[in-house]
Amino acid sequence: MKQAFTKKMKRETGTAYLFLSPTLFVLLLFIIGPIVFAIFLAFHKVQLLGTMSFKFVGLDNFVRMIDDTRAKIALWNTLKYVAIVVPCQTMLALVLAAALNAGLKGEKFFRIVYFLPTLTSSAVLTLIFMWMYNQNGLINRVLESVGLPTYNWIGDPDVALNAIMIMNIWATAPYFMVIYLAALQDIPDSLYEAAELDGANAWQKFWHITVPYLRPVTSFVVIMGLIGTFQLFDQSYIFSAGSGGPNNSTLTVVLLIYQYAFKTLGTMGYAAALAVALAIIILIATLLQRKLSKEESLY
Amino acid sequence: MGKTKWMAALGITTMLFGSLLAGCGGGEKSEKANGGSKQGEKVEVTLAGWGGNPSEQKLLRQTLDDFEKKHPNIKVKYEVIADQYMDVIKTRLAGGQGPDVFYLDAFEAPALIETGALEPLDKYVTDDFDINDFEKPMLDAFKGKDGKIYGFPKDYSTLALFYNKKMFEEAGVEVPKTWDELREAAKKLTKGKQVYGFGVAPELARLYYIAESKGGKVVTDNKASFADPKVVEALQPIVDMHLKDKSAAQPNEVGATWGGEMFGQGKAAMVIEGNWAIPFLQDTFPNLEFGTAEVPMINGKKATMAYTVAYVMNKDSKKKEAAWELISYLTGKEGMKTWTSKGYALPTRKSVAAELGFDKDPLRAPLVAGASYATVWQNGTNLPIIVNNFNNQFVSAFLGERPLADALKEAEKTANREIESK
Repeated sequence: MKQAFTKKMKRETGTAYLFLSPTLFVLLLFIIGPIVFAIFLAFHKVQLLGTMSFKFVGLDNFVRMIDDTRAKIALWNTLKYVAIVVPCQTMLALVLAAALNAGLKGEKFFRIVYFLPTLTSSAVLTLIFMWMYNQNGLINRVLESVGLPTYNWIGDPDVALNAIMIMNIWATAPYFMVIYLAALQDIPDSLYEAAELDGANAWQKFWHITVPYLRPVTSFVVIMGLIGTFQLFDQSYIFSAGSGGPNNSTLTVVLLIYQYAFKTLGTMGYAAALAVALAIIILIATLLQRKLSKEESLY
Repeated sequence: MGKTKWMAALGITTMLFGSLLAGCGGGEKSEKANGGSKQGEKVEVTLAGWGGNPSEQKLLRQTLDDFEKKHPNIKVKYEVIADQYMDVIKTRLAGGQGPDVFYLDAFEAPALIETGALEPLDKYVTDDFDINDFEKPMLDAFKGKDGKIYGFPKDYSTLALFYNKKMFEEAGVEVPKTWDELREAAKKLTKGKQVYGFGVAPELARLYYIAESKGGKVVTDNKASFADPKVVEALQPIVDMHLKDKSAAQPNEVGATWGGEMFGQGKAAMVIEGNWAIPFLQDTFPNLEFGTAEVPMINGKKATMAYTVAYVMNKDSKKKEAAWELISYLTGKEGMKTWTSKGYALPTRKSVAAELGFDKDPLRAPLVAGASYATVWQNGTNLPIIVNNFNNQFVSAFLGERPLADALKEAEKTANREIESK
C-alpha cells in the first residue's frame, strides 16, 4: 500500500514538473541564468567585443572598489538620496491618504488627480521637470515672484541631486498613497468611535489608531521605497545626459554600473561586481528595516 | 489511463518548447537566407547611424538611392539609432547582431579598433578609390596600431568663432584675432546677466586645443597628464572670464542646452562652435545676423579642433563585399559630393572640397581654413575615461568651487587610477 502511494506520488510529481517545465525553462533562461551569469562576471575580467575573453581574477573587482573614488561618491549620493526620499515619500503618502480618506467633498476627483503622476513614465516626467527646472523656467519664475532665491537647478552641483529628490518624491508618493488608502479602508470604525467616546481629538486618533494599525503596510512601503530609491538611474541619467555631472553630484551606483558596463570597454566584470555589491547593500538595508519595524507577519 | 496522461503532458510540453525555440531561432534563420549572396540574388546591407536633422536625412537618403540605382543587386537598410548611439552599437556588436556598416566617431575609434570588432579595409581598396585624396589627419584617425585602415572618414567639422554682428556693432568691437582681444571684447559685450560676451562649453572636447596651447599635454602615453602647470596656465583664462570678468557663461546658466542655442537666443555675443551650428542658426533663428571667423590665435599660433566620423565595417558581417561597395561609394568622390553638397558637413576629400568651393563660402571659409592646423579629437584608447574625469572636475573649477590646479590634479589622479586598474 505504501509502495503504491509513493509510486503514484512520484508519477504525479513528474507530471507536475513536466507541465511546469515551460515556465521553469523561461525562468531559468531569463531570470536565474542572468543572475548566475552576473555573479560569474563579477569574478572575471571580461572583454565582450571582438574577440570575447573571460579571465578569472578572483576578488580583484571587489578590491578595486575600495580605491575607486567615483564609486564612493556614487554610494554616498545614493545613500543621501535614500535617506531623504524614503521617509519623505512615506510620510507624504500617509498624509495624502489620510486626507483623502477623511470623507471630504470631491474625494474621488482628488484621488485621480493625485494618482496621475504615477501613470507618467519616469523618463517623460524627468524631461518635463528639466524643462520646468530650466534657469528661466516655471519653478524659478514662481520662486522669483514670491521673492525667494532662484537656483540653477540642473547646472549647480549643490542643488542638482535635490532637484531630482523633489521630483521623485512628487512622482512616487501617490503610488504608495494608493496602498495606504486601501489599508485605511480596513481599519474598523468601531476603534475610532471608541476613541471618540474617550474624548480623543483628530490628531490623537490619527497618531494612536491609524499609524499603529498601518504599521505592516508602512513596512511594505518603506521596503519597496528602499529598493526603488537604491536603484535610482533614469532620472539622474537623463538629468546629466549620462555623465552623472555636474561634478559627480548626480552620480548614483546604478549609473556608475551603466557607465562601466557600456561606456568604457573591457570593464564589464567590474560593473557586474558593483551590481552584486549593490544587491548586497539593498539586502542588508531591507533586513535592517525588518528588524527595526519588528514586523514579521506580512512576509 | 496513466499512459495517455503522460502522452498528453509530453505533447503539450513539446509544443510549448517547440514554439519557444522557434521564436528564438527565427531571426537567425532569416539572416542566413539573406546572407547567402548568390548571383542575381538581392543582398541587403544594414547601415546604422545617428539621426541628424531632416535636411541631412534627405541628403543621405538621396545618396543611398543613387547607390542602389548603380548597384541593383544591393539593397541598403538604413537604421537610425537616435539616442546613446555608441552604447547601442557596442551592445549589438557584442551580441553578434551588429549592422554591416556603421558610423564611428574618431574619438571612439582607437578603443573599438583594439577590440578587433572592426574589419580592416586595406585589402578592399583599389587604385581608383584614390586614397591619397583624403585629408591625412582625418584618415590617420582611423588607423590601428598595426597601421591598417579601419574606416574612411565621411566628413568632418572644425570649430570657428561665431559672432553676433548687431551686438558687435552696438558695442563697437572688432572681431577678435587673438585670445587677449577676445577677452577684452567679451567684457565690452557683456550686459549683466542678460547677455554674456562669450558662451563657453566647459568640456575637454571643446577645450583640448586651448589646453595644449602653452606646450603642455593633456594625454601622455595613454594616461592623463592634464595637471601639468602649462595646461593649467592655458586654461586659467577661461575660468577667470567666468569668475573674475563675469563675461563668460556656460549655456545651462542661461537656460540653454548648448552653445548654438545660447548664441541664437542672443544670450551670448560670441561662441566657438562647429559647422553644425550654421544650418541650425539659419533654420531656428532666421533673423539672426551672424558671422564666422577663425578661432582667435593663442600665443601667436592658430589652433582649433576637428571632429570626424567614418564608415566602418563589422568584422562579423556576412556580406563584406556588398558592405565594401557601400562604403566605397559613400566615401568615394561621387557619394561624398552628394552628401556634402549642402554644406551640413565638410568633405574629407580634397578634390570634393575644391569642387564644391566651400573655401570661398563666407560662413564656411573659416571652418575649411581650420582643417590644415586643427587638432583631431582623439587620443588613444583611454580618452573616454580621461574626458569623463576632466569634465567633472573642470566644471567645479569653472563654477569657482576650488582652484583650477587642485581640481585638475584630483581629476588626473582619479583618471589614472581608473586606467591602471582596468
